[in-house]
Amino acid sequence: MTDRFVFLRRPASLSLRVTGLVGIAMLVVFLIFSWVSLRLLDRHFAGMDEEELGVIASSVIRALSEVQDGSDAQALRRAVRGHHGVYYHVADATGKALYEPKDGPDLARFAHGVPSATVAAGQDMTIWEEDGRTYRGGVIVAGGDGELSEVYTIAVAMDIGGHLDFIRSFRRIQWWIICGAMCIVILMSWFAVRWGHIPIRRANDKVRAITSSKLYLRLDPTSVPIELEETIASFNDMLGRVEDGFEQLANFSADIAHELRTPVTNVMTQTEVALGQARSAAEYREVLYSNLEEFGRLNRTINDMLFLAQTENDPGNLNLESVNLKETVLGLFDYFEALVEEREVKLEIRGPGFPVHADREMLRRALSNLISNAIRYTASGETITVRLSQTDRDAVISVENPGEKVPPEELSRIFNRFYRASGSAHRKGEGAGLGLAIVKSIVEAHGGSVSALSDERLTKFHVLLPSTNN
Amino acid sequence: MDLTMKLLVVEDEPKTADYVRQGLMEAGFVVDLARDGADGLHMATGEHYDLIVLDVMLPSLDGRQVLQSIRATGNQVPVLFLTARSSVDDRVQGLEMGADDYLVKPFAFSELLARVRTLLRRGGASLSQDRIQIADLVLDLARRRATRDGHRVNLTSKEFALLELLARRQGEVLPRSLIASQVWDMNFDSDTNVIDVAIRRLRAKIDDNFEPKLIQTVRGMGYTLDIPDD
Repeated sequence: MTDRFVFLRRPASLSLRVTGLVGIAMLVVFLIFSWVSLRLLDRHFAGMDEEELGVIASSVIRALSEVQDGSDAQALRRAVRGHHGVYYHVADATGKALYEPKDGPDLARFAHGVPSATVAAGQDMTIWEEDGRTYRGGVIVAGGDGELSEVYTIAVAMDIGGHLDFIRSFRRIQWWIICGAMCIVILMSWFAVRWGHIPIRRANDKVRAITSSKLYLRLDPTSVPIELEETIASFNDMLGRVEDGFEQLANFSADIAHELRTPVTNVMTQTEVALGQARSAAEYREVLYSNLEEFGRLNRTINDMLFLAQTENDPGNLNLESVNLKETVLGLFDYFEALVEEREVKLEIRGPGFPVHADREMLRRALSNLISNAIRYTASGETITVRLSQTDRDAVISVENPGEKVPPEELSRIFNRFYRASGSAHRKGEGAGLGLAIVKSIVEAHGGSVSALSDERLTKFHVLLPSTNN
Repeated sequence: MDLTMKLLVVEDEPKTADYVRQGLMEAGFVVDLARDGADGLHMATGEHYDLIVLDVMLPSLDGRQVLQSIRATGNQVPVLFLTARSSVDDRVQGLEMGADDYLVKPFAFSELLARVRTLLRRGGASLSQDRIQIADLVLDLARRRATRDGHRVNLTSKEFALLELLARRQGEVLPRSLIASQVWDMNFDSDTNVIDVAIRRLRAKIDDNFEPKLIQTVRGMGYTLDIPDD
């Protein structure tokens, strides 16, 4: 397990994520744009060059047709004017050079090395480097038709260094622009994220202001961007639950103090008064007995509270086994037998016997509390019914007793600790009002739920326990 | 029961220790007291005791360690664990390490005394007896019948079990929780007066029409069955 956590790192910050993603996206866009524009530029120059070379080639062909014998180098030189960095070479069918440019590339070799082609068609243009310069050129074989009787090989080439320089500087400028734009984009997106987080930080400041004494504070979900509304609403819900729990705990502490204070006061007063003057041994004994009873009650309350605290703090602490529900209930009926006979009420069980997955002692305790509670509020001559049934998911135990309607506002508090029905005075021998709270904590520790219903005729407690097969 | 049984109480809380010792001594036991774990272990291994009452939370050496060391020497003396927390873990741990019983603080002294007696009896007691007679009350354990002054008393099976418990432990004060646990297997405090009602009904059958009254209420502690002194 621990090995796994070693590799779990904190996720990257949101600013980093957004900035990184935007940066990568922008970089890809820029690179595509750059590549496309360079290709277009290249194509454009190639087209221009081809056109120019085509013009030159046709000028040469025209000159050749005018001079007719092709030996007039002067005429060939004159054929092309007004073009700089353009070279051409003319040879006859035998390969004898009729015209050679004074400088520029070795076109004679080029003419022999490259198979004949048509410059004007823009095909088979070659780019090569020679003496530190770059040329684009082509070879054309013309003649043997009406216009030219002889066959000539014409090689044309031009220095494209200027174009390449332009492309190079264009590319350099583009890189600078991309770098600059990237910086701006990254910076902007970082700012955008920071700025976008301002509402979060503002909400955070508000959250910080919620101290344990100000749990009633809530965040306004409409004061934040729509994306955060859900989060804020959830936070408010959680805060509500915390507030409830906190309040319950505070009330519980107050209840404990009250519950313990009363018997302690009794014992103290009684003891002090008893010691106030000399008394007979019988009187002292009476005081001690009375104190003992009081302490016994205190002890039970403390044990019940400890039990509650343990069940609620550590619900996993169950000794789960398969328990036959019907047998358990019948065992409890056995225990209550004397009491129900004296109270002249009856206990009845209905439903099939089936096993549940539970902590036997805990389950007995919960059911015992429910049954004793029912006995307490049932008039003589009436019958308490325990019904057992099963649904797909749960085992259902309901304990019903005929009796007066419990008002809804009391019903909702019936499982609270130290809750006692209004009307019922703290009778001797009865618990501190923790019985039903214990039922609830036991059932919930088992993953179940408990509820109470009451109408004019019946009061029912429903216990749902998750089924065995879960 | 042999009344010269010797007990060791290992408990650091001074008041609890003193009163437990006094209570046990007045119940007829010889009691030694150790106020911390190291002393307790030393005494437990150095002398013979019939039972040790051992607190879990102790200075210098806690109860669990003391128990382990005692058991490590092969000493099988019964040990009653006193725990402050009633968490299941604590109990299970204690019982697994060889404690014979446990009691959760705060406990009633009558409960402690009853448990001590149960543990001491566990060894040699004659559970196989089939007849108990107290005054003119006779329990036929084999046939589960009771007679008083020669008259058959009709008891339910639980009533007989209750009477048998009281009779077997004649003269001992049995706390309600012990009665609930032994007769009905209810091992928790119930907030009802079921035991009182059950005793009242038993009394009506056993004592109401007869003298002397055998079942006595010990206020704040429990019930006992005995022949009255007077």
